[in-house]
Amino acid sequence: MSIIDGTDAATDTLAAGSAPHGIGTSVPSVDALAKAQGTYPYAADLWAEGLLWAAVLRSPHPHARITRIDTTDAAAMPGVRAVVTHEDVPGDAMHGRRVADRPVFASDMVRHHGEPIAAVAADHPDTARLAAAAILVEYEVLEPVTDPEKAFAAEPLHPDGNLIRHIPLRFGDPDATGEIVVEGLYRVGRQDPAPIGAEAGLAVPRPDGGVELYVASTDPHADRDLAAACFGLEADRVKVVVTGVPGAMGDREDSGVQLPLGLLALRTGCPVKFVATREESFLGHAHRHPTLLRYRHHADAEGRLVKVEAQILLDAGAYADASSDALAAAVSFAAGPYVVPHVFVEGWAVRTNNPPSGHVRGEGAMQVCAAYEGQMDKLAAKLGLEPAEVRMRNVLATGDLLPTGQTVTCPAPVGELLKAVRDADLPPLPDGDDESQWLLPGGLSGAGEPGAVRRGVGYALGMVHVLGAEGTDEVSTATVRVHDGQATVICAAVDTGQGFTTLARQIVQEVLGVEDVRVLPSDTDQPPAGPAARGRHTWVSGGAVERAAKMVRTQLLQPLAAKFGMSVELLSIADGKITSYDGVLSTTVAETLDGKELWATAQCRPHPTDRLDENGQGDAFVGLTFCAVRAVVDVDIELGSVRVVELAVAQDVGRILNPRQLAARIEAGVTQGVGMALMEDLRAPRGIVKRPSLTGYPLPTALDAPDVRIVKLVEERDVVAPFGAKAVSAVPVVTSPAAVAAAVRAATGRPVTRLPIRPQAAVVKPPA
Amino acid sequence: MSTYARQAAENVTLPSSLDEAVAALAAMPSAVPVAGGTDLMAAVNAGLLRPAALVGLGRISEIRGWQYADGAALLGAGLTHARMGRPDFAALIPALATAARSAGPPQIRNAGTLGGNIASAAPTGDALPVLAALEASVILAGPDGDRELPISHLLTGMDPMRPGELLAFVRIPLLHAPQTFLKATGRTGPGRAIASVALVVDPARRQVRCSVGAVAPVPLRPLEAEQWVAGLIDWDGDRTLADEACTAFGEYVAAACIPDQPGVELPPAALQLRRTVAALSRRALGRALA
Ligand SMILES: Cc1cc2nc3c(=O)[nH]c(=O)nc-3n(C[C@H](O)[C@H](O)[C@H](O)COP(=O)(O)OP(=O)(O)OC[C@H]3O[C@@H](n4cnc5c(N)ncnc54)[C@H](O)[C@@H]3O)c2cc1C
Repeated sequence: MSIIDGTDAATDTLAAGSAPHGIGTSVPSVDALAKAQGTYPYAADLWAEGLLWAAVLRSPHPHARITRIDTTDAAAMPGVRAVVTHEDVPGDAMHGRRVADRPVFASDMVRHHGEPIAAVAADHPDTARLAAAAILVEYEVLEPVTDPEKAFAAEPLHPDGNLIRHIPLRFGDPDATGEIVVEGLYRVGRQDPAPIGAEAGLAVPRPDGGVELYVASTDPHADRDLAAACFGLEADRVKVVVTGVPGAMGDREDSGVQLPLGLLALRTGCPVKFVATREESFLGHAHRHPTLLRYRHHADAEGRLVKVEAQILLDAGAYADASSDALAAAVSFAAGPYVVPHVFVEGWAVRTNNPPSGHVRGEGAMQVCAAYEGQMDKLAAKLGLEPAEVRMRNVLATGDLLPTGQTVTCPAPVGELLKAVRDADLPPLPDGDDESQWLLPGGLSGAGEPGAVRRGVGYALGMVHVLGAEGTDEVSTATVRVHDGQATVICAAVDTGQGFTTLARQIVQEVLGVEDVRVLPSDTDQPPAGPAARGRHTWVSGGAVERAAKMVRTQLLQPLAAKFGMSVELLSIADGKITSYDGVLSTTVAETLDGKELWATAQCRPHPTDRLDENGQGDAFVGLTFCAVRAVVDVDIELGSVRVVELAVAQDVGRILNPRQLAARIEAGVTQGVGMALMEDLRAPRGIVKRPSLTGYPLPTALDAPDVRIVKLVEERDVVAPFGAKAVSAVPVVTSPAAVAAAVRAATGRPVTRLPIRPQAAVVKPPA
Repeated sequence: MSTYARQAAENVTLPSSLDEAVAALAAMPSAVPVAGGTDLMAAVNAGLLRPAALVGLGRISEIRGWQYADGAALLGAGLTHARMGRPDFAALIPALATAARSAGPPQIRNAGTLGGNIASAAPTGDALPVLAALEASVILAGPDGDRELPISHLLTGMDPMRPGELLAFVRIPLLHAPQTFLKATGRTGPGRAIASVALVVDPARRQVRCSVGAVAPVPLRPLEAEQWVAGLIDWDGDRTLADEACTAFGEYVAAACIPDQPGVELPPAALQLRRTVAALSRRALGRALA
């Protein structure tokens, strides 16, 4: 259920009466109906005449030396058309998002449970799977390194060593001390992105020796480049066509799927299709970094922060992937959206034989938020202050310095956000005599007992950066075409469900006054738009669409303006009509176009950023977003079951572009946060993934999801961002787990230092 | 053209009576019965099982409902959790209805059956502790006719199902007595039990029967604790117990189910499980006596 009582724009839309149009209105998503009706095509639905089916053989061991691979039996099975191993990779054997440290197929070593070793194409999926199982692999099983603290001293698991990145951050005076000191050790588990559709794809060979990959890629050009390098082909011989994306929380596609698929299509000359099982999906894709955090906060007697010291250890799993980015975020935001004069952080991302970690919404920032907010609660307890009050005394604002030395130049209404959630009405306690109607922790027919239930209220403030950091070249290109009263947007930005296509339509409607706007599907024949992550497309792709649309607008109006001797600025377009400021001129877009086609292509590239230096200093971020969450939980203090009753959210959004979409993003984000807080943790004792299924890995259901109450959306425009808008998806994910933990702390008096919160951590033991 | 040799069951029989089903199984000894498929098909999809043939039980109407027989209810093995969760059934066997309502999400409860729950015999099978506390018996239909045995004999493997046999009915003595089922899952949405407790207060036999699910491969009956608490109850009076007695009962049950290991400290997880069982048993008794 969602309650919005802080947005005026939501009511504006209703008041307007006509169909929503342009920026700031709830223009519905074009594919919503198809998705609801089940006709929206995903990669798993694709078909090609004569296609073969692929299966991937994965390592059952987290760490082993491969002594022999024999594919003879598998290749000889009737129906099998090709078997490929590391020996069949014509191009680069290694790949990776930032560092090429991951083999396409393991050759001499396997470094995590589920690592691809070989792939088979056959004329039936079961034949392919049986053949994959018939590949003989001899392993010399090695002791896995699964404790990230032991990775430093362990034998190198990889030629690149076990330390993927170390960031020391030094800001202020190391000898500064405060009167009040609190310490804490926090742990965050392994959240799986658990996309609702497992990985799938179709590879189709081309007559020119190239190949087309139909996959739910969230970064098609990067995937194409990576695939081309591995296939030993020029980039223009590989085309990635983006299919419907069934859920993406980060880098969606597992390259362990795309690469074998393409190799098999090239090898057999036939289309090859692959649909991962749920188990493979859990084994193959990247997870949220399990993290260990040690903190010491110093404050003065009034509760003002003096110094924050932290050690942050990210478990990267076997390969580097996006760990460097996650670490930069963790270290930079280690103290949270608070003003701290002295900050000293040591951050490490290390290699282990655990499941791979990578980019999952709010990476790095989410883990530290759980820890620094735990510290703020400790500080409040020690000072005898309200948790919200301690936070209020330290909030960051525009003009303050981050511990990285970067000045916060964008809006940072942190105090306003906190005030909004603090002052919001609390949800009522269950009333009525019929206790069976109460939804107690433990569920509808659970064991909950009102007498054992305690309610707790907790707060968290979170922050995360927008766009890639540390010198990433953030750029996107878009083309807008107008013809016959219809506009078309061509942009390779992938709509992962975040609503980019809807936004692109709104932008063009706004700028060109054309109602009918089509957004073409993405592929790599279009210019690159970069990954669908970190709120990029709202900013760079939205910005590129706006510029292109404005260029078309100028082309459209220039001749008119010239003819009537007025400047383009004095003309306006709405509902397909062009009018002048004085009403003298009035014509239609179609008439002005007179059968002509107008095209314009534009780029958006925000200002560059720096890499963090050897002291963790530098202007590493283009933009920042903030969020305050107040959680209300009910805890059965004997069983330790927790129900999140309500999450009140106040968020810094810059500008509301689409109220309904915005609310949906926040609801989705906090619900993912509730999963992290209470149940999601992919267990891998000794490196072996346990219960990789949707029964074994619990996700929040409708009963677990709380009421999400958006109490305030602060619309202070970020002047450097297109439309002044900020990305909205990640920061609720970052903040809500910490808020739930704070509320459970309040309800139980227990320290709650580990996410997800296990029942035993929420039990109040009777006095012995 | 595909050279693929089919691995999945080609042969699916859909008998419309128990006799036909038994005959079908006799004719194809390698065939596997399937009811709601919520356990079986998950195993097939995971590649753990490749049945050569399937005998679908969904069309056997005689096992999809229930009837009364000599003070007992005779429940068809094909009763779904959804059906058992409805009010008319709840009036009959409340604890089983509660268990059925908590047995997974709605989609699963619409398909999953009582018989499947028993035959799967998962430690977290929610019907199982209830059947154990109610001292139910099962009626198996086989090529040599029917036979009836206590549920505990089946679950413990003392008297397992024989090849060719089908679970046909479950006989449950109808008690005009309070009964409860409580399940701890650690979450609010549907989930498998961390521990569950079924408890019956049976004035006719002056017994309290309690069964603890999910903590061991089969439901556990803490017999000593049952007898101890039955001895405290004033069966001819108002049948109430002091809170302390309920608490002590909870501790007793929990210690019986998760016993101390001589010379070793119980690990935190075991202690937590013990606390959970104690709280559930105490609450179950308190509610049954309320
Ligand atoms: C997402 C999910 C959540 C679940 N949650 C729960 C839960 O909370 N609690 C719980 O108890 N269970 C749960 N289950 C398990 C399952 O739904 C139940 O065990 C259900 O009762 C099984 O019944 P079925 O009819 O689907 O069995 P099937 O899958 O059809 O059969 C299971 C086994 O029993 C055999 N069998 C079935 N009927 C007969 C018969 N009449 N005679 C002989 N053998 C037979 C089959 O051959 C097979 O081996 C869950 C399952 C899923 C997938």
